[in-house]
Amino acid sequence: MGASIYRNKKPAFVFLIPAFAFMVVFLYYPFFKNIINSFMEIKQLGSSGTGLNTPWYANYVEMFHDEYVWVSLRNTLIMMVVTLVGQVGIAIILALMVDNISRGKQFFKTVFFFPIVISATALGLLFNLLFLYDKGMINQILEMLGKTELTDWKAEGIALFTMMLPVMWQYVGFYFVILITGLNNISDELYEAAEIDGATTWQKVRYISIPLLHNVICTCSVLAVTGALKVFDLPWTMFPKGMPLKSTFLTGTYMYYQTMETKNVDYGSALAVLIVVLGIVLSKVVNAIFKEKDY
Amino acid sequence: MKKRLIAGLLAGVMVFSLTACGGADKNQGTAQEATQETAQETTDAEEETESDAAEPSGAPVELNVTTTFAGEDTNAQNFKDAVAAWEAETGNTVADSSATSDETFKTRVVTDFEVGSEPDVLFFFNGADANSFIEAGKVVPIDEIRAEYPEYADNMNDDLIADSLVDGKKYAVPVNGYWEAMFVNTAILEEAGVEKPGADYTMDQFKEDCEKIKAAGYTPIAAALGNIPHYWWEFAIFNHQSPENHLEVPASVEDENGQAWVDGMNDIKELYELGYFPDNTLSATDDETFAMFTEGKAAFLIDGSWKVGGIVGACQSDPEDTSTIDADKLAQFDVTYVPGNGDRKATDLVGGLSMGYYITRKAWDDPDKRAAAVSFVEYMTSDSIVPIFAQHTASALKNAPEVDSAQFNELQVKAMDMMSGVTSLTGAVQDLFQGDCRVSTFDGMPEIVTGKVSAVDAVAEGLEMYNNQ
Repeated sequence: MGASIYRNKKPAFVFLIPAFAFMVVFLYYPFFKNIINSFMEIKQLGSSGTGLNTPWYANYVEMFHDEYVWVSLRNTLIMMVVTLVGQVGIAIILALMVDNISRGKQFFKTVFFFPIVISATALGLLFNLLFLYDKGMINQILEMLGKTELTDWKAEGIALFTMMLPVMWQYVGFYFVILITGLNNISDELYEAAEIDGATTWQKVRYISIPLLHNVICTCSVLAVTGALKVFDLPWTMFPKGMPLKSTFLTGTYMYYQTMETKNVDYGSALAVLIVVLGIVLSKVVNAIFKEKDY
Repeated sequence: MKKRLIAGLLAGVMVFSLTACGGADKNQGTAQEATQETAQETTDAEEETESDAAEPSGAPVELNVTTTFAGEDTNAQNFKDAVAAWEAETGNTVADSSATSDETFKTRVVTDFEVGSEPDVLFFFNGADANSFIEAGKVVPIDEIRAEYPEYADNMNDDLIADSLVDGKKYAVPVNGYWEAMFVNTAILEEAGVEKPGADYTMDQFKEDCEKIKAAGYTPIAAALGNIPHYWWEFAIFNHQSPENHLEVPASVEDENGQAWVDGMNDIKELYELGYFPDNTLSATDDETFAMFTEGKAAFLIDGSWKVGGIVGACQSDPEDTSTIDADKLAQFDVTYVPGNGDRKATDLVGGLSMGYYITRKAWDDPDKRAAAVSFVEYMTSDSIVPIFAQHTASALKNAPEVDSAQFNELQVKAMDMMSGVTSLTGAVQDLFQGDCRVSTFDGMPEIVTGKVSAVDAVAEGLEMYNNQ
């Protein structure tokens, strides 16, 4: 016995197998099955494929001709930019501001993080009421300020803004907490030395905080971009079926629409494959752009 | 070497898992085939199946029941009461998994049948929605049940029980029917100087009235074209057909019926361009436009008989408590006929008996549940229960008892008056036009009314998909 107990790795594998089997059954098998389904002809949700499509790659050809695939890709890319600038950018500003106050830090941490703990569907319903055309809170405020006509916040030209604002707002707190933890890890001695040298607050932020936060910002950016690909529940709650005029589809909501609403299950499977490919490519690109530095 | 062994072991587990999953599929297929075979055998030799069935234990059973009597359905509470009464009478219990009738519910039911977790008794649509599980032999025809239980549904007029689109047999015992008509907010009509539409109302008169209502500062039509265009879709098409040919899905966009569909879509486009729908009709939900109607901002609402309960609920300070009803507010609402055109009179409405109780093959083949399932459906479709559910709608009872209107609220009484003047009730063609063929004209309605897609192209696309199904 003795020290050999630590050299014997077999028990570790025995304990790993259940989790591995779970992953195989509930992740890898559905994943590969989904790829197969994307080449099949499936008449409705819940039924098996009746045979291969003609030609077998028909769904992938259709994807290129489907204008709403391009709409959803364009909107998803916009969502990525919005999450990068709106979520990570605002989170950096908030984190730097909170880091510079001496009292009430915990209060702001809690307040900014709070939206994360509310379900996205509940937030969608909440923002539906805020942006409601008739008697919505925002239109009521505008009315009090003298606006005579109601604004349709879900109309074609403005719908994307209305959809992305709550998504952006919800996750600011998440990145804020990561960034403020990063700021806490910066040694106070650096700030004290800068102060002795006569550095202003802005100079301390510019030359100490931001450079030393580089790796944390990179991590946040990667999380934000890949997270944008998965946004689903809040947009779907606020803009079901890509309304208005199918202009608010994201890749995730369009896949759901094709699968669950139009019952075009095999095409939905092909769209799911597209999302996976897109996710892999984008995470590689983002990792290459936001490379972490060694200090 | 060890690493190789471990890698081999893990790969083995993966392959085993995949095989197991694949095997499960095969087993499922085999089970399905077996059920189908059983269904076939049972149909071919009913007496044999009877004798083959094991003896029931006689102990109380728990029936799994799925219906659409849930949520805001007018009959949700009636169903709960009826179930409680049946449970008390028989000693059996019901595991109720009812849900609001929508596309998600339909998908859930179809998927449950696919994976073998269907309920014992199902209250569901009798049109194309039921095709998949009827094709799979997973529900029992009424005739087969009557072979063993001759009194099963014998209080129903068989001519009014819908035939399956799959094999022409009757499966679903109906309870309450439905109708689609036009609700009106009479307070707005009065203010706009418009009379309540009557039995000879035409589309031209409707447009004139809409213009007056619009001029008075109200929205004429409460409808969310980007969300639920279904009712306008149905009647707009019906207005270019007659009750005789409304249920014929066109073979192509060029034939007479196909042209009627195109004209119907163009009628909706015209109403949209005239500004008779809400300003946000393309981005609003059905709930929002319904609220406009009940809050006195929109005058007309085409919807189904189930909306009577919704309007009454909107007039109560507590939707659950009927004693909190605001009678003055409810008095503002009325229901009338949908403006007619051509061969369709305003009094030719869409309606019928589109749903009914199915007994599944699973329950039928279970000796303990067979009698309980039959007893449950017989109870729910008895002469005493059906009128409670049917209220102001139709039923298939041979001897429908006289309805006591004293138990109804004002809108229900108005609905009964309206129904007494109906000249025909025709089923909804959209119930036959199921699946992704609908997408181009239902979800695509905003594109049609805004001119991004022509009505001809949208209808042609839908019909092509339908004919390729």
